[in-house]
Amino acid sequence: MTTPPEPGVPGVASFRRKLLVAMMLVVSVVAVAILLFAQHNMARNVRLDFQREFQNELAALRAVQEVRHAALAERCRVLARRPRIHAALEDGAPDLLYPSARDELVDVMDTGDGAAREPGAYTLRARYYRFLDGSGKAIPPPNARDVGELGPAEESQLNLARLPDTPQTGYILRDAGAPGETIDEVIAMPIISSENGEAISAIVLGFVPPALGGGSPDAWIQGGIWLGGHLDLPAVPGPSRGELAARLTREIAASDGDHGGFEVRSDEAPYLVSFKRLNPGSLFPAAYEVSVFPLAASLARERRLVWEFVGAGALLLAGAFAASHALSRRLSEPVEKLAVDSQENREHLHRAEAALQSTSQELQRSARFSADASHQLKTPVTVLRAGLEGLLAGDHLAPEGREEVSALVHQTFRLATVIDDLLLLSRMDAGRLQIQFTHLDLAPLLEALMDDLGALPDIFDLEIDSDIPRSLWITGEKRFASLILQNLLENARKYNLTGGRVRISASAQGEWAVVVIGNTGTAIPPPSQEHIFERFHRGAVGENVPGHGIGLNLARELARLHGGDLRLLSSDEAWTEFELRLRLSRDAP
Amino acid sequence: MTPPGYRLSALVALLALQGAPAFAEASVEGRVELPKPLHAAVMNKRYGIVSYNGVLSPYPPLAVIYLEGSFPRAAGEPQARMEQKDLNFQPAILPVQLGTRVEFPNLDDTYHNIFSYSPAKRFDLGRYRSDERPIPTVLFDATGMVTVRCDIHEHMRAIILVLDTPHFVMSDPSGAYALKGLPAGRYVLKVWLDSRTTLERPVELAEGSRLRADFP
Repeated sequence: MTTPPEPGVPGVASFRRKLLVAMMLVVSVVAVAILLFAQHNMARNVRLDFQREFQNELAALRAVQEVRHAALAERCRVLARRPRIHAALEDGAPDLLYPSARDELVDVMDTGDGAAREPGAYTLRARYYRFLDGSGKAIPPPNARDVGELGPAEESQLNLARLPDTPQTGYILRDAGAPGETIDEVIAMPIISSENGEAISAIVLGFVPPALGGGSPDAWIQGGIWLGGHLDLPAVPGPSRGELAARLTREIAASDGDHGGFEVRSDEAPYLVSFKRLNPGSLFPAAYEVSVFPLAASLARERRLVWEFVGAGALLLAGAFAASHALSRRLSEPVEKLAVDSQENREHLHRAEAALQSTSQELQRSARFSADASHQLKTPVTVLRAGLEGLLAGDHLAPEGREEVSALVHQTFRLATVIDDLLLLSRMDAGRLQIQFTHLDLAPLLEALMDDLGALPDIFDLEIDSDIPRSLWITGEKRFASLILQNLLENARKYNLTGGRVRISASAQGEWAVVVIGNTGTAIPPPSQEHIFERFHRGAVGENVPGHGIGLNLARELARLHGGDLRLLSSDEAWTEFELRLRLSRDAP
Repeated sequence: MTPPGYRLSALVALLALQGAPAFAEASVEGRVELPKPLHAAVMNKRYGIVSYNGVLSPYPPLAVIYLEGSFPRAAGEPQARMEQKDLNFQPAILPVQLGTRVEFPNLDDTYHNIFSYSPAKRFDLGRYRSDERPIPTVLFDATGMVTVRCDIHEHMRAIILVLDTPHFVMSDPSGAYALKGLPAGRYVLKVWLDSRTTLERPVELAEGSRLRADFP
């Protein structure tokens, strides 16, 4: 299969080259498209993964916060139901309010030193507490040391516009303006009167908010709180706290919902910042949870991904090129073979055409020669016969001479017949013979010919029988059909033996009119059987039989010109049989 | 309780004490139209005192009818009793004369911690059980309404009305009352209905008279 292209076939190499280039082009484009698509998808997935991770992390942290918040709220709720606090508020003992609460809050309050703001400690202990009066203002404690000290500015942040009916979460700024300013979480739990179901007071407890991300500086997510332009955020390596607070203030003002986010693109460390309202619907000022999320890891992952894709793409392309090379080679092979074959074919064709040309010319020449020869011969034969007949007509011939001349006249007739046949053959060879097809009934034709046969001087004393339908219509020209049949009948008579038999049968078989003519006589030897239709062939048996060896040839050529055929059916010592097939006329009258 | 006032009332009491045995006692009876319970129905009958809009009232409604005037101080320390039974105070409302010592026995199997932040009497008996002996008591030495609570059971509440009179009575659930053995004189007849509502009417009692006073 892998026949290398011949160097002599210049188009094939370029075909292969073009095919290879086209395939490589297609493969490259497809590969690049696939890679780009995949890379795009992967990058998006990475981003989504990253965001999901981020959201999950945040959600987990928030879940912890919520549990903590719920625990705190529950403690506050229990506290708000204490009979002593109710007694102090309802039974007219405001002076006993804070002292009673101190006893009740013993296990809730921070045990002391106050500054125990340990990072990562999800403390459930309150640092301070205050009660709100009926108008929502903080009731000053008799002894601030017992209830956690707050500056006046801090205490005033606890005031609410009215007493809440439901627990409220708020945030207050501690040590405002100082470098170590922090934001505390406060929970205001209404104290509902058992008398009338209305809020009669509220207890506000202040807690250290748990730091998102555990407060350690190398935690993945850094969390903090934004309150009124202030930001309480543990160490962030990237943006400075002041810038971030200012940016947050702008973004929060611009955001219509309770949450949002933005990216801080700094040179060394880009950050994702997201914020979420911590106390939606609260009577306290809005505070936002701020999560700072370094993007360095994500970017590194994306970069690695791009490199992986470039590597994979290069490999893929290389593989694809190799494959397309092999494929183009394989694909071009049949074409190359075809090219080689067609080259050979063309040469053969040329040779055949040349041969045909020369043969045709030869044929033309010989046909013309035959025609010319026939014409040239006919005239002298006619002249010869006229001369001989003149001699016969005269009286100066001895009876022996007269017999001699008579035989010569007979020979001139034979000569004329041969010349006619040759003329006909040469016309056929030159392709000039046109058959005038008509509807023709074979039956009368055969009968006429048999009559003629019977009329001939019978040296063999032949028995002639026939089986011919009343009519058998064919398409053909009467002259030539008659010539074929005449030839066959002539042969049947000539190559017969004394007391022999000739049998003629005709029938319609399918679309054919089949005429079978058989005769007794010497068998045609098998080696000769295939040559009997050749021109100028005469069987060895017929040396003493008149004939010139073109009759069968002429008959077959004519039969074929009629679209039929003539063949030898069989020939043995007893019987020789020829079959003539001619086309039946479809629409005979 | 300024010293001159005290002396004056002591004098009046002395005078009254001197004259009292000489005359037949008067009495006041009548019917107080008790307020409809503000709650349609308290499903849990444990509440002896209910509150609504900051008003404490007995449930079912009862009235305390007392005669205010100048009466001598009680001789000795009158005794009263408020039990804690079935996680409730019994009675839920207890009128006592000034200077009465009330004992608070715990008849439940659990701890109680009786206390009051009311200005008339602040006290805290601490946690104790039924086997506490002696039974904790509180001397009520100032007039006024004292809300008694249990620190352990936030629903438990009772009212002790400390009255500066020996003549007081609880109405029956229909509002009917009868104050008997009253000395003749001019007094103010008061009806305490809830923590914010006290009706009053001046009465002049003649000796042996039987006054009919319906509220309103």
